[in-house]
Amino acid sequence: MLNIYVLIKQVPKSDNLQINWKTGALIRKNLENVINPDDIHGIELALTIKEKYGGKVTAITMGPLQAEAALREAIAMGADKGILITDPMFAYSDTLQTTLVLKEVFEKIGDYNVIITGIETSDSSTGQVPYQLSEALGIPLITDIFNYEFEKTLFRCQRNFGHESQFIEVNLPIIMRIGRHFNTTRHIPLSRIKRAFEIEIEHIDFNAINCPSEIDGCNKSPTQVIKTEKLIHKRKNEFINGTIKEKIQQILQIMKDHGVEKHWIGKK
Amino acid sequence: MPNLNEYKDVWVFTEIKDHEKVNNCALEILGKAREIADDLNQNLVAIILAYEADKYISTIKQYGVDKIIYINNIELKHYHEQIFPELIFNLISKYKPSIFLFPSTEASSALSARLAYRCRTGLVNNILNIELDKNKGDLILTDKPAYGGIYSVKIVCPNTRPQICTITAGTFQKQELKKDNIKIIEEKYDFDINKINIKIIGAPTRKDKPSASLSDAKFVIGGGNGLGSKENFEKLYKLADLTDAQVGGTRRPIFNGWMPEHLQIGISGESIKSNLYLAFGISGAIQHVVGIKDSERIIAINTDPNASIFKVSDYCVIGDANEILDGLLKHYKVE
Repeated sequence: MLNIYVLIKQVPKSDNLQINWKTGALIRKNLENVINPDDIHGIELALTIKEKYGGKVTAITMGPLQAEAALREAIAMGADKGILITDPMFAYSDTLQTTLVLKEVFEKIGDYNVIITGIETSDSSTGQVPYQLSEALGIPLITDIFNYEFEKTLFRCQRNFGHESQFIEVNLPIIMRIGRHFNTTRHIPLSRIKRAFEIEIEHIDFNAINCPSEIDGCNKSPTQVIKTEKLIHKRKNEFINGTIKEKIQQILQIMKDHGVEKHWIGKK
Repeated sequence: MPNLNEYKDVWVFTEIKDHEKVNNCALEILGKAREIADDLNQNLVAIILAYEADKYISTIKQYGVDKIIYINNIELKHYHEQIFPELIFNLISKYKPSIFLFPSTEASSALSARLAYRCRTGLVNNILNIELDKNKGDLILTDKPAYGGIYSVKIVCPNTRPQICTITAGTFQKQELKKDNIKIIEEKYDFDINKINIKIIGAPTRKDKPSASLSDAKFVIGGGNGLGSKENFEKLYKLADLTDAQVGGTRRPIFNGWMPEHLQIGISGESIKSNLYLAFGISGAIQHVVGIKDSERIIAINTDPNASIFKVSDYCVIGDANEILDGLLKHYKVE
């Protein structure tokens, strides 16, 4: 039986972000929060492994109390349990601080076999936590996986790594990192939504873990965001006029100016 | 709290690509790193970990470095997820660089994240720009895209060193400059092979890697719903074949069954950084626009003069995308 933990994050839904054009700040009012797109595929993988090999799936997130919603969604999909890591001391944690907290949480949990993560979050796009957690826990991170199997305490898989497609074998525990193309996620049956609200979410706060003095999201995150602005792209906005033939000629000229030439395939 | 004054010099990880040449982006970064090192009056140092590492020194010497530190070993022929972080962490502990820049390749992104953890320092990845914060010593200001590329955030790393960043290809320009008396230092390869925790049973060369991915392509041709049919959309591939381009598109052609999902450009797909992007029948929804913002020049063709794609384009062509596409194809076929 495998103890499978899947790391998820609640992020603002990115396709309808509202911007205050004067300040360039994100308008958080009425902002819809969702599970980070990669992470839903992580939950799906966790459930697939459980179905095939048996085990228990726990979704973990770190964030404010409202992030419970993400855990309930994971439970509705089929996760057995949700853990919310929440404390004012963890607010504003950057990737290093997040990793340091996760390290303590997993050391407290102890008997984890598989930790699943997505590639990156859609809000900050750092993609650093999987690598850093691998360092922190001293366990292998396996990326770009296909054709995997578990056998007792062994994990075998084929993975793309650099220029190779490697067949590898590792001892558990491991971290598996997967992206959006890895699998197709399941639909949530109505009956499970009810269940998701009946299960209690476990909370882990600063006092619940053995926190070394280096943990302090707000004051000890090495990176600090000092400004957020709207990305402005300066463009020429030049209209190309004339007959259709003239327009084509002008496009061809611009292509040529940018190094686009006819590419000969085969015979020269 | 570490003594920040002990940390000096600007380092660049000159990654070796496919055991054959220095990664081009690393050479571009050397250009910008030279400016920063000059402003700080410190050394620019290139770090090489490779098999036959010395054969890359002559290339790197051409790009303004003061010093090259290298480690040579057959185990360093390709990136290894345990060996590289340990060896470089040892170099950082010994020499204490203030700033350490990496190309944002797959290997260097992984390596820099692991190093940032080991050094308990900050890492800003895929930055758009980097500059020294005036009057604040060696503190650098970095800009990186966030929220799917709609925003740019400015990030600093004031209390820990080194300040680590990864930089996307094409962000900076290569600058050839030959310094006198370049110092070359060879460091010892020292890694306990028993620590390796992943057993590789077989490692055939992967076949799935396309010769040029959408995100690396220099010329990208994109299509949207305005092309009208699968048959018309397929003309994009013909034009791409003739001009050595890559084809991508918006979400609609996927729904319409004209294009596979992995060619989507935008928020849930790829971001392109091409020299030129040619947009056929694309309206310009924000989800697509964020994926093309790093393209140097954009030409858009659309029948609607008020299409929002024109607001983010350099050259705007009001007209039927199919007609223009036919005209371009005809030109390249008969040329």
